[in-house]
Amino acid sequence: MTAKRLRVIALLAISMIFLLAWAFPIIWSVLNSLKTDSDVLAYPPKLFFSPTLEAYRDVLLGSGSILPNLLSSVIISVGTTVVTMLMAVPAAYALARLRFRGKKFAGFYVLATQMLPPVGIIIPYFLVLRNIGWIDTYQGIILIYLSFSLPFAIWLLVSYFEDIPFEMEEAAYLDGASRLKTLWRIIIPQVRGGIAVTVVFVFLNAWNEFLFAVVLSGNTVRPVTVAMFNFVSVEQTLWAKLAAVSVLAMLPVVVLGVVAQKHIVKGLTVGAVKGGGRR
Amino acid sequence: MSGQGQVSFRNIVKMHGEFAALKGVNFEIKPGEFFALLGPSGSGKSTTLRILAGLDAPTAGRVLIDDKDVTSTDARDRDIAMVFQSYALYPHMTVAENIAFPLEMAKLPKAQIAPAVKDAARKVKIDHLLDRRPGQLSGGQQQRCALARAIVRKARLFLLDEPLSNLDAKLRLETRAELKKLQRSLGVTAVYVTHDQEEAMTLADRMAVFMSGEIQQVGTPAEVFARPNSVDIAGFIGNPPMNLVPARYVNGDVIIAGHRLKTATTMAGERDVVVGLRPGALRMVEGGLGARVDLIEDLGDTAVLDLDCAGTMIRMRVADGNIPGEGDTISITARPQDIHLFDPTTRMRL
Repeated sequence: MTAKRLRVIALLAISMIFLLAWAFPIIWSVLNSLKTDSDVLAYPPKLFFSPTLEAYRDVLLGSGSILPNLLSSVIISVGTTVVTMLMAVPAAYALARLRFRGKKFAGFYVLATQMLPPVGIIIPYFLVLRNIGWIDTYQGIILIYLSFSLPFAIWLLVSYFEDIPFEMEEAAYLDGASRLKTLWRIIIPQVRGGIAVTVVFVFLNAWNEFLFAVVLSGNTVRPVTVAMFNFVSVEQTLWAKLAAVSVLAMLPVVVLGVVAQKHIVKGLTVGAVKGGGRR
Repeated sequence: MSGQGQVSFRNIVKMHGEFAALKGVNFEIKPGEFFALLGPSGSGKSTTLRILAGLDAPTAGRVLIDDKDVTSTDARDRDIAMVFQSYALYPHMTVAENIAFPLEMAKLPKAQIAPAVKDAARKVKIDHLLDRRPGQLSGGQQQRCALARAIVRKARLFLLDEPLSNLDAKLRLETRAELKKLQRSLGVTAVYVTHDQEEAMTLADRMAVFMSGEIQQVGTPAEVFARPNSVDIAGFIGNPPMNLVPARYVNGDVIIAGHRLKTATTMAGERDVVVGLRPGALRMVEGGLGARVDLIEDLGDTAVLDLDCAGTMIRMRVADGNIPGEGDTISITARPQDIHLFDPTTRMRL
């Protein structure tokens, strides 16, 4: 009994260390976003300070408001997610189900695009977009984001589609359903967990992306990840405002995570139980 | 909607690369018939069913339903209902929604769907489970749900792919009887795939016996049992299956382990044969073929004896009260009409 208790305590302690390491930057950001700039730089750091929403007021309503940038991020992320899913769901279904010439190659190609280092393709992307006049446009950034979110989404979704038994689809055909109707009524409802997981990942990748955004965006389209750097200059870093923007940028991610948590957990355990049980 | 349900297979060939899954299959199914496709696994019976359903296309040959060539017709346009071995229920729908699905696809008005679903569910006794999902049903209930989904539409053909194989033994026997009654009451043509000869024997009006991609015999269960066409069928039908013993044929007699048995054949001459003897057709007599009882499997009302006839193993079924002891020596014989003769090279009936 004591040995067991010791084990539990040891496990708890280790978990706490990991949790702290993970949570520290978030706690740090939240705390600093509530301080004044002088409080942020106080040494030794003040444990007790009078919290203020000044930083939030400034970054939201001040002259350098990041509201347009948040909107940019939303447009880019939602746009990328919607277009990705519209293309990835049928593509993944085709890769999982249909027999066609070059299927193996198509499957490999989808994965191969994931192996390119992003830094290596950023300059060609820049040149291409500049030549067609799409630098600093939503369609330009979304197009580039598609180039890596689409293969990722397809690759993730294929395994979910493969989990659906062939016979179920055949039963639907014999019941008089067309292929599209079968996909819509029989297959997609069963992979909705996988679709939710994919939506979350694609959205988060687009929301968090920085490298391509900083090169391909400009003054019109400027997502929040890039805009944050307004608060970092050669002379000084406005820590409180930077922290406030980080917290604001984190919010949608957290909300999405909480909302989709049920689906994510279910999605990750797909196939754990044999048979056509409830999902 | 409901047609006659007559089926005709004309020279159907199915190749999987170099491998011939079906080597020219021909048969006819009459309207309203319960027709079984029987054979060991890999014999082509399921491929035949899938081609009939339109889920696979034949490499060559034609499929006719009600005298109409449907070889290249889509599965969904063939008006065929099917029960899969895995049931293939839609797990995200309730039982009622599962059963209603074919009617919805047929664009039946909503007002007609509900009563039809109720009716089909009542026929298979699951009308109290309509709000459940397949995951909340037992194996037997899932099977009934699949049946209800198949019968709700009143399709002209009713296909069943080993529908009982996932049920436990007791439930299988009950469902088997109900299935037969259901098919009779609906009057629909049923095509039933099974590897279980007992299922085929009890359910089917007629059956086709498949062996390695070919139909070796078509007939009523009684015909196939009484006159198997080949050594393979003889060894497949019946429980325990027919004894198949290499022997010498001499002018109407066969010589097994040095003992002469009279046959019903009158052909003259001498040749090697395979003799088929049903375990139940063997009798104990004085001065017959000598045999030592090696093992007794008592089944209650009957017993199966493993006999050693001078090195040849023969199984015999005897009635209760007539069972010798293990190690006893007995003497057996069979009536001439119960002795089946097969050619050892072609393996066909002589």
